[in-house]
Amino acid sequence: MLERIAEAVIGGDEVAAPTLVTQALATELPARDVLYEGLLKGMTEVGRRFRDGEYFIPEVLVAAEAMKAGMAVLKPYLARAGVKPEHTAVIGTVRGDLHDIGKNLVATMLEGAGFEVIDLGVDVSPEKLIAACRDRKADVVGLSALLTTTMPMMEVAIRQMEAELSPRPAVIIGGAPITQEYADKIGADGYGPDAATGAELAKRLCRKR
Amino acid sequence: MPRLSLMKLTSRERVARCLARRPHDRVPLFDSYWMETESAFVAGIGDERLGCGIESFPKEPRPDRLTLWEYFDFDLMHVGWPDQRLRLVEPTVLEETDEWVLRRDGNEAVLRWWKHKMGTPEHVAFGIDTPEKWARAKPLLTASRNRVRWHEFWPRYRRAKDARRFICFAGVEVIESVKDTLGHEMMCRALIKQPEWLHDVFETYCQFEIDMFRLCEAEGWECDGAFIYGDIAYKNGPFMSPQHYREFVYPCHKRLFDEFHRRGMPVIVHSDGDIRKLIPHFIDAGVDMIQPLEARANMDVRELAPQFGDQLGFCGNIDVTVLTTNDRERIAAELHSKMAAAMPYRGYIYHSDHSIPPGVTLETYRWLLDEVRRFGTYR
Repeated sequence: MLERIAEAVIGGDEVAAPTLVTQALATELPARDVLYEGLLKGMTEVGRRFRDGEYFIPEVLVAAEAMKAGMAVLKPYLARAGVKPEHTAVIGTVRGDLHDIGKNLVATMLEGAGFEVIDLGVDVSPEKLIAACRDRKADVVGLSALLTTTMPMMEVAIRQMEAELSPRPAVIIGGAPITQEYADKIGADGYGPDAATGAELAKRLCRKR
Repeated sequence: MPRLSLMKLTSRERVARCLARRPHDRVPLFDSYWMETESAFVAGIGDERLGCGIESFPKEPRPDRLTLWEYFDFDLMHVGWPDQRLRLVEPTVLEETDEWVLRRDGNEAVLRWWKHKMGTPEHVAFGIDTPEKWARAKPLLTASRNRVRWHEFWPRYRRAKDARRFICFAGVEVIESVKDTLGHEMMCRALIKQPEWLHDVFETYCQFEIDMFRLCEAEGWECDGAFIYGDIAYKNGPFMSPQHYREFVYPCHKRLFDEFHRRGMPVIVHSDGDIRKLIPHFIDAGVDMIQPLEARANMDVRELAPQFGDQLGFCGNIDVTVLTTNDRERIAAELHSKMAAAMPYRGYIYHSDHSIPPGVTLETYRWLLDEVRRFGTYR
């Protein structure tokens, strides 16, 4: 059954996924297993296929919809069982940048990796970022920039987080002009060349902390 | 018969030969700028014949004044850019600050734009989100005279004709058009979940583009080629799989490009991002040249020219991140290595790999264009 749930997510079947979740819960499978061995396992495979160039954005979007449809059924059961997301990620496009497609994909992949995601949207100031990190006790921050003219705001945000947050959450960065070299230069904890790799990286960084 | 390299070709002849991968005298020039760069260059040059306005947004165009393209004596220019919005509603400003403006456009899409700089807007909402809404809106997408900024393009067209530049009809391909109407996410979902609807949307925009081109032709424009704009990829690859491209988009591209080819007009296709997986399909569809080959998206003419240079031309790929260093040694290395790889195939036009950013000084830029002309001369 759990395998079939994962397959429904991989195939982007937003009708089958909630139906199978309902059936799984009816057979008294633990909600945690349905989440981790069903929905999230499916989304992990979607991330792998996306990273390896087997899946493209359309396949990822419909898979995410299937996962969310399954999640809607599962959520009350998770709450009752006391299953909470292991980590929290705050994510946003930096100040001065309005691009959101890449950032949205990363948010989807982070959710698929089991994170609670606080999406601050676009044109996010360092102050707003810091306030959200404090409020939500963020483990990781994801910053996105599409333009060479806005990427310096990543460094500004990191410096401000270092000054005001102790401990500073791990920071991962990504976007069209970003490179590993740039991430190293500004003191980010990692660079995600694509959304799936970004989510994997976020998980690794959280485990280390 | 003098050697071709010693002959002085007109821009029109030079670009036409380049697009046909036939011998010509030197690499043609063409470029794009961020709005801030354009303003800075115009101010720095200080020639009153110049006006800001290669791109009219958000400033009022001054068609009576020279563009930077004309000032730098580029070989290629384009006219056209038909308004492809559905005109469902009058465009409205919903909210405004000193920095940005939130607008509802004619597609009923709500987008947030910067006021003082260029860039892709934030996609806030899209009005066409069901096949039913599309069916009601579709009849509005008809070709008409009032969809072209004639007052802006006629003077430029005439000056380009007088200067014997290569004139392209500029239009938009279907992915870009559909993205503006449905939004990226809806378009991507519909590829899988509502394929019949999406086929209809793509086909409708394709026919509209053809009709607008015919209308411009009937008005008297005699264009030498076509410049078709559409960002169909991002840093890591195309927005959709090659299979989806082939099924949904290729038939539209082929039909549009055939329309140009029947008139002897070669086709240049613009897309940012990594389009390598689509190149064989582009060649099948009749693309003659791709532009601008974004270096940060792993597009590299040094690899692509040996692979596809016999079937396809290349325009661009000079990395703007190198140009912003203003380091002539580094820029020369970038320029020479890429031009040396592409020039033997005879189908290369100089352009940056995106748009010249504000960090590039006018002094560097003038030097760069001189260097393209010097190094790009066939001997």
